Amino acid sequence: MNRLRRFLRTPEAIAGVLILALLLVMALAAPLFFPGDPQAIAGPALLPPFQDWRLPLGTDRLGRDVLAELFHGARTSLAVGLAAAAAALLIGAVVGTLAGFAGGLVDEVLMRVTDAFQTVPGFLLALAFVSIVGPSLSVVVAAIALSAWTGPARVARAEVLSIRERDYVTGARVIGMHPLEIAFREVLPNALPPVLALSSVIVAAAILTEAALSFLGLGDPNRVTWGGMIAEGRTVLRTAPFLSIIPGIALVLTVLGVYLAGEGVVESTAVRRSLS
Amino acid sequence: MSVLAVSNLTKRYHRGGKPFAAVDEVSFDVGPAETLALAGPSGSGKSTIARLVLRLIEPDAGRIDFEGANFFALSGAALRARRARLQMVFQDPLAAFNPRATVARVLGDPLRIHGIAPRAERPRRIAALLERVGLDTGLAARAIHEISGGQRQRVAIARAIATRPSLIVLDEAVSALDVSVRGQILELLLDLQRQERIAYLFISHDLGVIRAVAHRVVILDAGRIAESGDARAVIADPQSAVGKALVAATPKLVRTSQDAS
Repeated sequence: MNRLRRFLRTPEAIAGVLILALLLVMALAAPLFFPGDPQAIAGPALLPPFQDWRLPLGTDRLGRDVLAELFHGARTSLAVGLAAAAAALLIGAVVGTLAGFAGGLVDEVLMRVTDAFQTVPGFLLALAFVSIVGPSLSVVVAAIALSAWTGPARVARAEVLSIRERDYVTGARVIGMHPLEIAFREVLPNALPPVLALSSVIVAAAILTEAALSFLGLGDPNRVTWGGMIAEGRTVLRTAPFLSIIPGIALVLTVLGVYLAGEGVVESTAVRRSLS
Repeated sequence: MSVLAVSNLTKRYHRGGKPFAAVDEVSFDVGPAETLALAGPSGSGKSTIARLVLRLIEPDAGRIDFEGANFFALSGAALRARRARLQMVFQDPLAAFNPRATVARVLGDPLRIHGIAPRAERPRRIAALLERVGLDTGLAARAIHEISGGQRQRVAIARAIATRPSLIVLDEAVSALDVSVRGQILELLLDLQRQERIAYLFISHDLGVIRAVAHRVVILDAGRIAESGDARAVIADPQSAVGKALVAATPKLVRTSQDAS
């Protein structure tokens, strides 16, 4: 409770949480407000916003309800962002812990692999992966995670390097604990806080990467995504710019919300750390 | 037969490109239910010896026989299993435990790892261990950071005796405790030694404490043994220069020795 109050003390954090809450409500309520296929034709094509109260944000080139697409797109963005970030953090934490804890050859090999992934631009990697394996939601998640795990891996390794010299790790060796158990049960949980601080940046980047992949036509074709909507609107950018602008605003707000909320979390834990 | 026999143990480090011996041809042994103290100024190699004996670091030369078998011949699972018989208590009782752990987890780990008690029986064994070291059994559910320093060191001792070891290495185990708690912990250690016949390798720079608990003492200087012998005799009349300096640097010696006797 106390932690929550401290977290909500900064206006940035409040703004971030409000935006994320709105996004969450949109994602969860999408099937309630807009049952049925959001990709079905709902009215005349290219209806501008605020003309028809049944289609408040108008329709796109094929006469699909933009507001319905926006709601359903929130589901995709949120799901992909969270899943990709979770996967990236998991891979990064495990690789970083193994490298830092084992040291020697294992460390060298794992960190050179990390280097290799880090040198390739993340988006190109995701692009290549999706074009080879084929576009589907899980592939997109994997592709984004593949390009985002290196940061968490480096942070986790640095933290593990300092933790593994502590007495309690020695103590765990003295009672005969298996090295893998020491690494994942004693060391990893204590190395997590700075790694988790990266999560907001990764979620924001993942949402953007997903949108960019969809924009290039490499998103899951069976799902509405904001990136796909922007791409769709691009062809009629001169006559109906709102088709690109509306999902664009949604995207900007979401990334901003994730970032602000993440900053709030980091801020509040930093205070807690300095007090203890 | 001795529990621990150390012969010609050597560990070299590199400092500024030049090799130097942190531990240089050190030999000693510890008998059953005996307390051998390792004393010496900072940097004399006391803690390095402790780490070598526990095989937390590997030596450059020498041999350690533990319970009659070559301790350096073990590796992997065999070494981990053997560790049940050779335990350690650290100086800082807060740093010695995972900050996220509870008392029950700390004491349950060795019971689980060495298959001493099945899961269902563990709470009872943990309670027995807590009672054995003079703690309330209700402490089991508490987090490590919620209990006092003295209680923590008792938990550390409980963890060390959980696997029924024949030797416990006490690395400055009472140095970080305040004086009243220190007396109680020393009392507990002596009591455990009498009842369970545990040998102690007692590492300390405090000759007053050593005089109170140790049977024999080895005084180290720059990685070598300066002198050794009966603890009271050596402290009463040190022969080596470093021994004399250590005794001279212990202002509390007179009072502490009266307390102990």
